[in-house]
Amino acid sequence: MILNKISIAEIKERMVKYPRRKSVILPALTVAYRQVGHLSDQIYREISDIIEVPYIEVAEAASFYTMFPKEPVGKYLIQVCHNISCALLGADSLVGYLEEKLGIKKGETTPDNLFTLISVECLGSCASAPMMQINDKYYENLTREKVDRILEELRRQG
Amino acid sequence: MADTVATVTLTINGREVTVPKGTTVLEAAKSVGIEIPTFCWHPKLKPVGACRICYVEIEKMPKLQVSCATEAMPGMVVNTESEKVKEGRKAVLEFILINHPLDCPTCDKGGECDLQDNTFAHGIDDSRFDFNKYRFIRERKSTFDDYRIGPEIVRNQNRCILCFKCVRANKEIFGEYDLGVFQGGNISEIDTAPGEKVDSIYSGNLVEICPVGALTNTDWRYKIRVWKTQQVKSVCSYCADGCNLTLWKERDKVYRVTSRRNDVIDEGWICDVGRYGYQLASVEGRLTTPLIKKGDKQVAATWEEAIGLIARKFREIKDKKGGVCIGGLISPQQDCEALLAFSKFFRTQLHSNNIDFRTEYKMLPEKESPYYSRLTSASFRIADIENSDTILVVGTNLIKEHPIVHLRVRKAVNQKGAKLYTLNPFTTKSGDLSRDEIVHVPGTLEAFLNGLCIGLAEKADGEGNVRAAELKARLEPNTTAKAAEICGISEARLNDLAEALRSAKKISIIVGELVSGSPAREAIAAAIHNLTVVLNLNERGQAAILSRAANSKGAERLGVMPSLSKELQQKLKSMWGGFPETEGRATDRMIHAAKKEELDALLIIGANPVASFPDGQFVREGLDKLDFTVVADLYETETTEKADVVLPLSSWVEQSGHFINLEGTMQRFEAAIKPVGNSRPGRQIIEDIAREFKGGLFADAHEIAREMQELLNVEPRPSFPDAVAEVKFAEEKIEKDYPYPLFVVDEMHHFGHLTERSRSLAAFAAEAQVEISPSLAEKLQIENGSLVRLESETGKLVLPAKISEMLDNDVILISRNFSGTAANMLQMRKKRIDRVRLIRVDEK
Repeated sequence: MILNKISIAEIKERMVKYPRRKSVILPALTVAYRQVGHLSDQIYREISDIIEVPYIEVAEAASFYTMFPKEPVGKYLIQVCHNISCALLGADSLVGYLEEKLGIKKGETTPDNLFTLISVECLGSCASAPMMQINDKYYENLTREKVDRILEELRRQG
Repeated sequence: MADTVATVTLTINGREVTVPKGTTVLEAAKSVGIEIPTFCWHPKLKPVGACRICYVEIEKMPKLQVSCATEAMPGMVVNTESEKVKEGRKAVLEFILINHPLDCPTCDKGGECDLQDNTFAHGIDDSRFDFNKYRFIRERKSTFDDYRIGPEIVRNQNRCILCFKCVRANKEIFGEYDLGVFQGGNISEIDTAPGEKVDSIYSGNLVEICPVGALTNTDWRYKIRVWKTQQVKSVCSYCADGCNLTLWKERDKVYRVTSRRNDVIDEGWICDVGRYGYQLASVEGRLTTPLIKKGDKQVAATWEEAIGLIARKFREIKDKKGGVCIGGLISPQQDCEALLAFSKFFRTQLHSNNIDFRTEYKMLPEKESPYYSRLTSASFRIADIENSDTILVVGTNLIKEHPIVHLRVRKAVNQKGAKLYTLNPFTTKSGDLSRDEIVHVPGTLEAFLNGLCIGLAEKADGEGNVRAAELKARLEPNTTAKAAEICGISEARLNDLAEALRSAKKISIIVGELVSGSPAREAIAAAIHNLTVVLNLNERGQAAILSRAANSKGAERLGVMPSLSKELQQKLKSMWGGFPETEGRATDRMIHAAKKEELDALLIIGANPVASFPDGQFVREGLDKLDFTVVADLYETETTEKADVVLPLSSWVEQSGHFINLEGTMQRFEAAIKPVGNSRPGRQIIEDIAREFKGGLFADAHEIAREMQELLNVEPRPSFPDAVAEVKFAEEKIEKDYPYPLFVVDEMHHFGHLTERSRSLAAFAAEAQVEISPSLAEKLQIENGSLVRLESETGKLVLPAKISEMLDNDVILISRNFSGTAANMLQMRKKRIDRVRLIRVDEK
């Protein structure tokens, strides 16, 4: 078992709140992600057994959401929005700049395991494009200078 | 009040259309012959509106609407062909084709592709998309992305238009959860669950339902272009469901089988055995010429020599000892014409009643068994299952025995809210659907049914049509508590089931092979009969023992059994001007007689009793004693090995004929190809022997048809009398040394002794395995694939183990379908339940 007692208890608690078991898939995946830091086939199986939803439906839902990394990621997961508004305002070059600054390609993790860089579908912050999400926090109206400052700050925190 | 269906009237393309309330705009249009293009719509699936090609314009609605998911409303004014609609469809197709590889010249779907057809009819000849197409590449860099998702299915995601029909049908109709939609948007893909494969018994339907070339099967891929083939109407020759098929052939080869939708039987779904089973007609190793045994060898001979020898030998035996010293076994997968000819040959020319079609069941009754016959001939409709609110499935792994009946049960439960109860000696897949999956101690079924009858009568409290006291006098066990104890089930569960049946409005009771194959079949049938009496089922439902093979019902109705009902006997007597007075022998009595040298010859057509009759030792000894054995089959089998004359038999795709399905519906199938080699259809072989022996059996084809019709007109006595049958349960002694009940069953993807020759079916399973539950595996320290030795009182067998998540009690299942695995060696003909012990071994 990957999921610990606390996570299992938390998932079971959520089950009471929804009329359909399928609805618990996302909360359960979130609980698992918070515990482990990423998801895996084994976790889908465990969730499927707990909430009694077919394994494939858990796996399907998890695959849809880029917010859930499926492999181990760095301490800071940088998710740059690449949808229309952000793309029009330079998301592509922003990803390029981050690749250059971090010395990794999109989809990779820095050797010190501090940063993972990915690009994702719309994060619902079009008015403040271009933007990115690092772990749970939004960083908006980005410029290269702003990115420098953010990375510096995170590196300092370690 | 309930009979008047509320209707709505709307206008489509200027025509007024009236349809039942709840109909979609698409179906309303279809009902008056207005075609609207579709991809994701399917008549048997819930609409999802995923592809958007079925756009129509509806007045007062600002945007185009998807007609498949829009309910027809009173006064709606719909236009399916306006300029705006045409523009909309063009735009949808432009989007769908953005990443499509446009590889029609090498795509197997070319010529029968909805995407081709709809683009041809509604699309544009250009695209504004000038970026690189997104490509799904799995295993190697190739436009084709040939990614295998199951033993038979190859996926090409680049061709997929995301209609989701495969995934929807898989979940909604088949209840399988091995295929899904992963990722999202542009990169959505159809795939298996991580680490799994698509290998259910229904898997081929996913290919058939695909509107484009995204899912193809190895059966058909790169073999032929569809427009070069011709289509032949056929009917499945395996189980008794009677699914309608289309054979796709060119010259002398069948290339594939698809369903030919028949809503009262199959609703357009067929199982993989029916889909791929045709392949055994044309693989290496078919018997192509008669063989005659000379010394130790079987030597090729002409038909004239073989038939001449058979007729001479039969005449010799008949003249010397009488025709009763000759017996006949014929496969219930032979057509009605062959079965009737077989019966007529034996009865009118050999004057012998020694004929049978049941070569897999032990201790067949010598006399007619009234309750059993009553239930096998009871009127039963597959389509009526879905009108039942309560369904009781008894003694069958239904998904395996009757995959399409299982789908109807699924439909009743999932779409119509029916309550399903299963009653079996081991857990089955139908259990997933059931309110209560009752697993009784093997060999105690009638005890449980007695308890159920008592429970029901007590609940009725004197108001039912049978009083509890009357029942108690005729039954043993005769209390619910005693019955529950014998079966190893709590009394509360028994009572819950009784309550569910009591309060049901319409009931279907479906009984299968674990009853018909049991030596206690008559006692169990009597107990089920009692249940139908207590429930007054004549007025509120149906109950039947389902027949096993494609034409088992035909064999019963046409009288291919040693003892027949009086009505059938009389009919045959008047039709044929005589009927043998001697008592006939069933399969095991024939073998027994052979062993005692009271039977001298056997004519076996399409059956393989040496490997299938439950008691391998017994059948081998019996056949060895025969003076003269004739066996007709497609391939060499354990039985042809013992034959003095081997005749090459044609398969059902090489001939036309009729099958009678488990409902009693007679269906015609057409020949697709010529007989392979020098093989001949069963009917012709029998006619040939008869002609040489005494003279032709039938003047012409009309005479066969007329005789068949006359026999089918004989009422099979479908109604149940009210009297309660006596049912006394007697416990079978269990040898402590052999603790585990053994069930010899069909492997999920096989049926009978020939399907292992089908390449596609062998891809699902190619050898017998010992199926055990995870808990038994743990107890005996057996792992998946480890070799185990099975020992019974009569035989030993070493096979790999398969831990089945489906099973959860201590029983053992082995499949009967593979040559080289004589599972029947472990069985004993006189035991009700075969028992074995199981030992892990390191090597054979």
